[in-house]
Amino acid sequence: MTWGFLLDQFATQLGLWWVIWPAILLGIVVGILPGFSPQNTLIMLLPLTLAVKVEAAMAFMIALYSANHLAGGIPAILMKIPGSGGAAATTLDGYPMTRKGQAQQALVLCFTASVFGGLISTLATIAALPWLSQLGLYLRSVEMVVVMLFGLTLIAVIAAKDMVKGLIAGFFGLLIGVVGTDHVYNTPRATLGFIELYDGVPLVPALIGLFAISEALVMVEEKMIVAKEGLERAAGARWAETVEGLRMSLRRWWQIVWTSFVGLAIGIIPGAGASVAAFVAYQQSRLWSKQPELYGTGVPEGVIAPEAANNGVTSGTLVPMMALGVPGGSTAAVMMIVLQYHGMVMGPRLFATNPAIAYGVFISMAVAYVFMIFTILPLARYMSRIVLIPTTYLAPVIVLVTIVAAFGERQYLFDMALALVFGVIGYIAHKTNYHVTAILIGIILGPVFEQYLVRSLRISEGDLSILFSSTLGNVLWALLAASLALPAWRGYRQRAALAAEKFGDER
Amino acid sequence: MGSPNEPPDGKTPLGADLVIPALALGFVAYFFVSIADLAWEAKANGVLIGTILLSLIAVQLLRTAAQLVSGKASLGFERLWAPREALPKRLGLVLLTVAFIVAIRWLGLTLALFLALAAALYLMGVRKPARLAAVPLAVAGAAYLLFIVALDSDLPRGPVERLLGF
Repeated sequence: MTWGFLLDQFATQLGLWWVIWPAILLGIVVGILPGFSPQNTLIMLLPLTLAVKVEAAMAFMIALYSANHLAGGIPAILMKIPGSGGAAATTLDGYPMTRKGQAQQALVLCFTASVFGGLISTLATIAALPWLSQLGLYLRSVEMVVVMLFGLTLIAVIAAKDMVKGLIAGFFGLLIGVVGTDHVYNTPRATLGFIELYDGVPLVPALIGLFAISEALVMVEEKMIVAKEGLERAAGARWAETVEGLRMSLRRWWQIVWTSFVGLAIGIIPGAGASVAAFVAYQQSRLWSKQPELYGTGVPEGVIAPEAANNGVTSGTLVPMMALGVPGGSTAAVMMIVLQYHGMVMGPRLFATNPAIAYGVFISMAVAYVFMIFTILPLARYMSRIVLIPTTYLAPVIVLVTIVAAFGERQYLFDMALALVFGVIGYIAHKTNYHVTAILIGIILGPVFEQYLVRSLRISEGDLSILFSSTLGNVLWALLAASLALPAWRGYRQRAALAAEKFGDER
Repeated sequence: MGSPNEPPDGKTPLGADLVIPALALGFVAYFFVSIADLAWEAKANGVLIGTILLSLIAVQLLRTAAQLVSGKASLGFERLWAPREALPKRLGLVLLTVAFIVAIRWLGLTLALFLALAAALYLMGVRKPARLAAVPLAVAGAAYLLFIVALDSDLPRGPVERLLGF
């Protein structure tokens, strides 16, 4: 690979602007609407992607996929409704910023972190592709079991104020994720007699119910999304807020860089995905922050970390697909089908036989991110106005429109009812501080976790000690134990300090 | 003077905190029954997760019991309903959604969405007839164009869709 080859590829991709722009716009719309996943959109557009040349099809799919990852943060910030699982962590500080009347700044932070996070990780991937492709090979099913548990534990510890409640929510979600037929014998489990649950609990109704409907049910308590003190600020927002958001991003450029690498590393692991990456980045950002106690109250770092990471995942997910022929996620799987239809054989040989496609995928992504920043940044000011709509109108529209969107993934009316059930569960969880995010991530990880666990146990003929048989796995177990013990210990110390202070005052 | 939603005895109402554990407990029990006769590969994961979940629920129950014994908490459910003024709107919204899901089979997407949204807006306090008609019309029209015309989804068709030729 030479500089000449790379520049030539960049020029080719720039020439495909007529495919990239519409794909970006479509990806943004799809990303904003919960229930419209990029893979479903790509499936619906298969006739188009199969009909055009492979380069154009690839540019279209990549641009739509990247824009989708970026746009998932928009409803997460404005209404606490993540457009996808990867944006769930963005709600933690993005929505509090909106409540404070800083929706426009939060959106700009989200856009810049997403674009530059995606761009940095894509350029890093292009540079290190041959080595990165080997990383996924070190993680076998045993290590993946621990990675999944580690991800879930981190989410439970981060998202919930109360660790026990967070863990209950996470494991409750994990068990819900196991509903459906098992991977070996296809026997149904806990389906309540519904044939619609044989394939497992569908993710879109769960996402819509836990976030959109539950949030709308809570929303009716207040007249506006924005708190009283932030209302004037939100109503008077001008271009200056966009500039302020850009300044905030510039001041935190290093955070964008390192959290995008967190996303890239996690994206390379097949099955881990954007949701785990966003939470790990958020947790790491809080861990290294000088003011960790401010996280969750609406700090810019809390928006930057998950957004840079979940866009860092976009290039990472494609690494195992290109290098090993193993798609890192469902969207990558759809892309792989399209590329295979065009005669591309994924795997290590692709880099030798068709470098223009192998590297072109990532160059196309870099170009899409450059186009994206100019498309979306001017829209922040107008998008942020949505929070000024009274909840009298917003809540019923959210409930009824998202219920219809729940139908989209599988075209079952059953899924609409399921979304409502999840909405009620989400509402109860919301009111009692069992974090809905932990439940959702549990549901997402449930089937993947079972796959890796059963694979490990089949190798060991049912012996659980296999889970502690690898060095890397044991290191991860130790980290998991530390992530549980440290917050508990910190909480104990804080309580002890408070008690001592109180005792001192009384004396 | 405390808020009208605050319990009069000043104790923290923890009854609502037990709803999710109770749901989880019931689900674990049902899960265990449903996998009782299956091969070990089909139940290993459920048993592992279910056991961890049961342990966590036990911890939560012990914490709640300790609070109750110390007299700092009660088994009230106030947190679930508060604020009481929003309760009719919330329940109404859920019931209207149930009615919408049931009625969509016969009325089709566009008409069912229009009627449900108009009723929901009325329930939320909107009284101006123009708004009660315009907002549902715009939303139902957009849903018709997106789901029926553009995406040709399998959402139920009713009189409106038939009239417009879809």
